Amino acid sequence: MTGGPRAGGGPLLAWSSIMIALGLMLAIWSGGEAAALLFLVGPVPLLLLAAWSRLRPAPGGPRLLARVSIPVVVVAIGVALAAIGLTGGLWLVLVGAEVGVFGLVWLIVEIRSERRRAGG
Amino acid sequence: MSRLAATDHKQTAAKIAVASIFFFLLSGLLALTMRAELAQPGLQFVSDHTYDELFTMHGSGMIYLFLTPAALGLGLYLVPLQVGASQIAAPRLALFGFWLYLCGGLTMYSGFLTNNGAGDDTWTATIPLSNSTGTPGMGMDLWVIGVALAVFGSLLIAITILLTILRHRAPGMTMLRLPVFSWTMLATTFMVVGSFPVLVVAMGLLLAERHLGGVFTGSTGSIVYQHLFWFYGHPVVYVMFFPFVGAVGEAVATFSRKRFFGYRALVVSLLFFTALSMAVWGHHMFITGAVKNQYYSLTSSLLAVPAGIEYLDLIGTMIGGAIVLRAPMLFALGFIAQFLIGVLTGIIVASPPLDDHVTGTYFIVAHFHYTLFAGSLFGLLAGVHYWFPKATGAMLRERLAKASFWVLVLGANLTFFPMFFLGYDGMPRRVADYEPRLGDLNLLSSIGAGVIAIGVLMVLANLVVSLRRREPAGDDPWGAQTLEWWTSSPPPEHNFERPLPQITSHAPLLDLREHEEEVRERRVEVPA
Repeated sequence: MTGGPRAGGGPLLAWSSIMIALGLMLAIWSGGEAAALLFLVGPVPLLLLAAWSRLRPAPGGPRLLARVSIPVVVVAIGVALAAIGLTGGLWLVLVGAEVGVFGLVWLIVEIRSERRRAGG
Repeated sequence: MSRLAATDHKQTAAKIAVASIFFFLLSGLLALTMRAELAQPGLQFVSDHTYDELFTMHGSGMIYLFLTPAALGLGLYLVPLQVGASQIAAPRLALFGFWLYLCGGLTMYSGFLTNNGAGDDTWTATIPLSNSTGTPGMGMDLWVIGVALAVFGSLLIAITILLTILRHRAPGMTMLRLPVFSWTMLATTFMVVGSFPVLVVAMGLLLAERHLGGVFTGSTGSIVYQHLFWFYGHPVVYVMFFPFVGAVGEAVATFSRKRFFGYRALVVSLLFFTALSMAVWGHHMFITGAVKNQYYSLTSSLLAVPAGIEYLDLIGTMIGGAIVLRAPMLFALGFIAQFLIGVLTGIIVASPPLDDHVTGTYFIVAHFHYTLFAGSLFGLLAGVHYWFPKATGAMLRERLAKASFWVLVLGANLTFFPMFFLGYDGMPRRVADYEPRLGDLNLLSSIGAGVIAIGVLMVLANLVVSLRRREPAGDDPWGAQTLEWWTSSPPPEHNFERPLPQITSHAPLLDLREHEEEVRERRVEVPA
């Protein structure tokens, strides 16, 4: 657990090991209760995140980033509208999806122009 | 619009703070209405159905929309500063998370505008009460969707905090040099990433059950739902606790003028605490007879060990220190004392035979309000009073802060302590009416709720007055120990404008002061 910014996986590994041990304990004690599988839900995504973090080097300095990102807000509102549409009706799902896709395209344009500026 | 869509982590955190205060006031208003109803036996102001809506939306609002996001918001603001990062990892993801959380909260509350009213099946939405037969209408659907959105938003915010700690630490900031608050945030994000997705899935399945049926059916349907819900429902209690332990730890070390005692023991205890906290969910299901009671009783009782270590660390930090009783320290001490009552009564709830007597009664209400209100909220207020000068560049009014602390202590204990006796005497929770013999204690509790309201207004008044008539705080008004106090107040866009000091421990500014003192002493010694 020493070293630079990339050496952050130790606690995740330690914590995941404790979780898996607790899950095994429940599985053995209860004679194979299916609920013990829930113990894998926590460690698996965390270990994947740790692995991804190890494989992808962390950025050195501050990233060039838009100070304001309206498309993110548009995508979020689109997702929320589509979700509410699950009870409000298909029309709202479609409106939400449309808003979300519009926001997503806008976001891609924003990120590409950011990368161009960073490259230039 | 520029503020609402700003990607800077400090601005996103500020938006979370404003939204969570809004939902806190809304949910608090519902609690006041409930306590007004319960001041006397019989039905006074609201019907049984409305009362169901009130306690459902109060509990849901406080947990999904106030304490959890407030805890994560505090982390979002402070973690990059504490680890010496110029930005948070994935700032857009954090912004996206905030907007999902806000939309989720508004969706939940919009249920009040529907024909059947808002969700009224408690914050747990237990099956079969929450299926389309038990709770028909769009209000409950909106509750389910709102919860899924808000929890998913919180999950995204937590991921950005986790990635910041893993990938954006300054050179020299090893994992065993992370400040206490950042460690508690790391532990918090473990629980969030591990348990929150399960609730999002559970809400999706519940919505499918309500519209299509056949998901949580049969004799095991309700048990399966409870497993999914409580796998989220118990860890979230610690998500609303750990960050505030960290805030209290920072305040206690600073105002004891000492290094945090037992740092490594705290780190190990946090890792065990987070793992154990995800292994105790079955104790909410003791009464069902469908879980291995011995296992969950053992893991629940074991929680006392890491909790005890954390308490010893906090007390050990104060012992031998030069304690300064400023407002943040007062709130920290209030947290330590009152949360202890929640912990001790938790031992009773962890024991199946004792739990059988008190489950479903006001004893449980008292227990979790001592942990969440008298504990976590006091911890949050310790953090707010401690970091307000850093975030705004202005000092809070000390006398008003201290007065609000005592009013809140009085209100919290007047409201929640009588509930232990009410529950032990058999008053069930979630009812609008009760036996006349329980009237006196209920009246006392309702008066306490009014006192809390006054205390909350005093805190808000202090925030407003201090922002309007500013008393400049300077970079480090407390003589603190961690990196956020190295930068200006409020911090600039990329957090630090001057090079960071050398990081050799979890308290780099204290190291720096001690080093400077050492150099000064040597200079004095030379001429002598």
